[in-house]
Amino acid sequence: MGIFDFITGRKKPTPGELAKERLKVALVQDRMKVNPELLELIKSDLLTAISRRLDVDEQHVEIRLAREDHWDKLKAEVPIKRQKISFEWDPPAHTTAVTGLRGKVTVEVEKDDESEP
Amino acid sequence: MESRVITITSGKGGVGKTTTTANIGTALALQGKRVAVVDSDIGLRNLDAILGLENRIVYDLVDVVEGQCRLRQALIKDKRLPDLYLLPAAQTRDKNAVNSVQMEQLCQQLRAEFDFVLIDSPAGIEQGFRNAIVGADEIIIVANPEMASVRDADRIIGLVEAAGKPEPRLILNRLRAEMARRGDMMDVADVLEVLGVDLLGIVPEDEMIIVATNKGEPIVFEKRSRAGRAFLHAAQRIMGEEVPLDEVTEVPSLLERLRRLVGFGPALAEKRVRS
Ligand SMILES: Nc1ncnc2c1ncn2[C@@H]1O[C@H](COP(=O)(O)OP(=O)(O)OP(=O)(O)O)[C@@H](O)[C@H]1O
Ligand SMILES: [Mg+2]
Repeated sequence: MGIFDFITGRKKPTPGELAKERLKVALVQDRMKVNPELLELIKSDLLTAISRRLDVDEQHVEIRLAREDHWDKLKAEVPIKRQKISFEWDPPAHTTAVTGLRGKVTVEVEKDDESEP
Repeated sequence: MESRVITITSGKGGVGKTTTTANIGTALALQGKRVAVVDSDIGLRNLDAILGLENRIVYDLVDVVEGQCRLRQALIKDKRLPDLYLLPAAQTRDKNAVNSVQMEQLCQQLRAEFDFVLIDSPAGIEQGFRNAIVGADEIIIVANPEMASVRDADRIIGLVEAAGKPEPRLILNRLRAEMARRGDMMDVADVLEVLGVDLLGIVPEDEMIIVATNKGEPIVFEKRSRAGRAFLHAAQRIMGEEVPLDEVTEVPSLLERLRRLVGFGPALAEKRVRS
């Protein structure tokens, strides 16, 4: 961007620039769609990470790419299996200052029976 | 010399695959290589017309594959160049008349006879496209500098890589340098940035191609044509020669334009005489 564009605010893009930007956005989505293997990999990485802490329903996990508010977003829906979730809070060694959080944490989830499948 | 099978494909239709196949094939033959150009667009025969060979066809690709004739009987010798041959597509057959195994065998047969086998792929990403790339060592993608074409090219690049082929090279066809300079359309750099492949050549938009097609004479024979020279350069790059990529930056000077007008064209004129 030249100094003049800088003063006057953002310059209006040329049709060529516009085409390139639109193309880039379209390609991000195309590439994810034609590459389901990558999404599968991300999904399994996510599940490995999450299931260390939560008991999730792996059959109903959904992961997809969406474009919202000018951002490409990876959206994941990860249903939790059990109504009662308990997990170990285990801060790494270098955070010894936060002693208050060490120990076992249990979260009680109130279940609404009708909303369950 | 090891024989090389090269497929020219694009995804989107009408971007210049057949024109590229005919011209790069002719240019390679002009350099003394033994070349077969294969029209794999079954049902939509085109390559024969660009080469001006449409009224010499007896047998076609499907006849060879089905064993109705021998390969040599179906190959049509070019009118101008002794080392250029065409294997035409069937006109009256279904796109699915040939399968991948048959196509791969056909490529093997052609390898035995030629230095270069260029396969003109049909548009799309279906069976015809898969047949066209199955026996190829290298892939050339043709794209125009516009959104739909580049987007399809990207898709094709993904499919080519998934098929275990080496990274394709790009022919950017129908570039209007003046419009790109004004910012009215995408530039070479834009397309390359988006696709992330190597460039094999830049072919300018050129009205002379339409005239050449009407005459059934590939544009590489037309020494005043910038598109013709671009195809010749692409062929030289395929043969491993280092040709500077000056197709875009080059704006012909008045002197040069005059020179070409009088017929003192550079490289091409001499090559044509030599062959
Ligand atoms: N550089 C160029 N300048 C001007 N016209 C061109 C250029 N390249 C190709 N054309 C024209 O564009 C049209 C389509 O070209 P061509 O038949 O080679 O495309 P194709 O990709 O093989 O199409 P199809 O997908 O139908 O097989 C033709 O009329 C051709 O003359
Ligand atoms: Mg064609």
